[in-house]
Amino acid sequence: MTDDLSANDTTGVASRRKFLAGASAVGIVGVAGCSGASGGGSDELSGTIDASGSNTVAPITSWAGEQFSDEFPDVLVDVAPEGTGAGFQEFCQQNSDVQSASRQITDDEVDLCDGNDVDYDFIEVGLDGLAVVKNSENDWLDEITLDELRQVWEFESDVQTWSDVRSEWPDEEIELHARDSASGTFDYFTREINGEMGNIRDDYSATSQTNEIMGAVADNVDGFGWGGLGYLRDIEDDQPIEAVPVESDEDGEFYLPEQENIEEGLYSPLARPLFAFFSMASLEERTDLLGSFARFYTNGQHELARDEGFYATTDEAQEENHDKIDDWLDQVGASPDDLTVQRD
Amino acid sequence: MSTETDDPLFTEIDLEWEHLKNRLFLGVIFAASMFGVVMLALLLLDVATDFYVGVTEYDIGLGEFFTRDGSRREELAGFRGAIVASIMLMVLTAILSFFVGVGSAIYLEEYAPDTRVTRLIEANLANLAGVPSIVYGLLALAAFVNGIGIGPILIAGSVALALLVMPIIIVTTQEALRSVPDGVRNGSYATGATEWQTIRRVVLPAAMPGIMTGTILALARAIGETAPLIMVGALFVNRTPFGPFDRFSAMPTQIYNWAAEPSQHFVHLAATGIAVLLAFVFVMNGIAVYLRNKYETDI
Repeated sequence: MTDDLSANDTTGVASRRKFLAGASAVGIVGVAGCSGASGGGSDELSGTIDASGSNTVAPITSWAGEQFSDEFPDVLVDVAPEGTGAGFQEFCQQNSDVQSASRQITDDEVDLCDGNDVDYDFIEVGLDGLAVVKNSENDWLDEITLDELRQVWEFESDVQTWSDVRSEWPDEEIELHARDSASGTFDYFTREINGEMGNIRDDYSATSQTNEIMGAVADNVDGFGWGGLGYLRDIEDDQPIEAVPVESDEDGEFYLPEQENIEEGLYSPLARPLFAFFSMASLEERTDLLGSFARFYTNGQHELARDEGFYATTDEAQEENHDKIDDWLDQVGASPDDLTVQRD
Repeated sequence: MSTETDDPLFTEIDLEWEHLKNRLFLGVIFAASMFGVVMLALLLLDVATDFYVGVTEYDIGLGEFFTRDGSRREELAGFRGAIVASIMLMVLTAILSFFVGVGSAIYLEEYAPDTRVTRLIEANLANLAGVPSIVYGLLALAAFVNGIGIGPILIAGSVALALLVMPIIIVTTQEALRSVPDGVRNGSYATGATEWQTIRRVVLPAAMPGIMTGTILALARAIGETAPLIMVGALFVNRTPFGPFDRFSAMPTQIYNWAAEPSQHFVHLAATGIAVLLAFVFVMNGIAVYLRNKYETDI
């Protein structure tokens, strides 16, 4: 699926946006009742916003877009969740206006964007938690330090049994389950825990399906793994699986991945920020449409993230987003007061 | 033949065993012929149960289902946008494929000399009919969505579907034209009519029920096609399209979307959508059967 959709990136020649803008000029799209470019000086916003990017973050952007369309019926936000990497390919070729990302942009992607003269900036729209999970019948693993996590998971790890981690734990083999290298979750965990993106032992059961990880750990008392928190929440009430309190790099205490711990920044480093990147060229071209959407997204970001099963950023991050949008508008020679949607 | 009877004499043959084999064979081939029917019944039963559970346990109101567009909120999601998109897709696909399809069938059947070129065209048509549908989606993606940059709009989707059904329409039209007896044509020529007059006033009217039946069956196949639409990129738009230049998500892609959601409510919305899509297919097939039966004795 992801591969298929990413065929888009390589074959894409002309930007859809340019066509739409041109088409509305000759009045074709007028028939369709929705024009491509925002009409100058009109109060009502209209047009299409193309959003690419992360499978994880897409629901938040999509939900923001739907509510934005409810308010401004002539606006369509088309969200294609092809994955963060595939999305950046599209975004850096100016084929999308907004890019949702479950990680920061990589150096390669920065080069790609630079090569195409695509200028961008991002807002932080929410937080996702990574849960470290164990079987409920496992009564020895009450907490785990970051060092121990690294010991278990790092490349060429010699941990085979629980007692290799702590001597008082049973001499039983650990069954390891986690995501494979295709996922942003994998990128995030390996970088934060093992110190380098992609650094991981090669003898664990790798899968692209987080629900398989959860199922395997629920089936085996010696199961141990990690994955997106949402998947744990889906099954923890029905199956013998639970989250392990993980040491915080903030204060050294142990925390469960619960809403308050994540939103207060205590469940760190295993809570990751989620981003929405905005193309400055699109903002310059359709300042009111893109600017208002960014504003709208930021105004509602706490509810939007929670509605989709994620966690809200801090209020400071939200303020920072608003300030960034002010800067963007400044860059393209517009004033925040020009936008249809104002800061709450 | 059988190893149990070493003695070849007829009197030694175990008649009861032979009769049993006869019945066994009958049973096996009957089971084979029932396989498809049973599978279809299971499929329908599965859809019906999910549909029933959706309506009763998840309170999917059919009124709202037909009058609301899709949504990220499961309790607000409806199917209207997808239904409208699919109907518009079918109309556009019919327009795009019917004239070209019927035109080329008339040429091949009535005019074309039996040369190597004609045979090459016919062989290609047969191959075209066997091309996987996703390939047509790729073609539309490369040529239209990205190539001329029209984006994932209704027209792009209908071009992919039109390419998909065109070979089917051509082949069924050829069949229909072939079933018009030569005597009818010769009678027309005998009155001094030209070739075109004969085709327009005599052959086409006689073949039309067959052509319509084939076209409707082809469209009934197109309405459920998912892969080409996914390739075109028509997936995640929830709202009702207003014209051929709007972005859209048709019934099968909306179902695909919903079925991939983790929430059970969405899965049951997908089941309800499948029931609606199947109803569309059955009605279209019903019309085709009706047309065939109504006109089949005319000539």
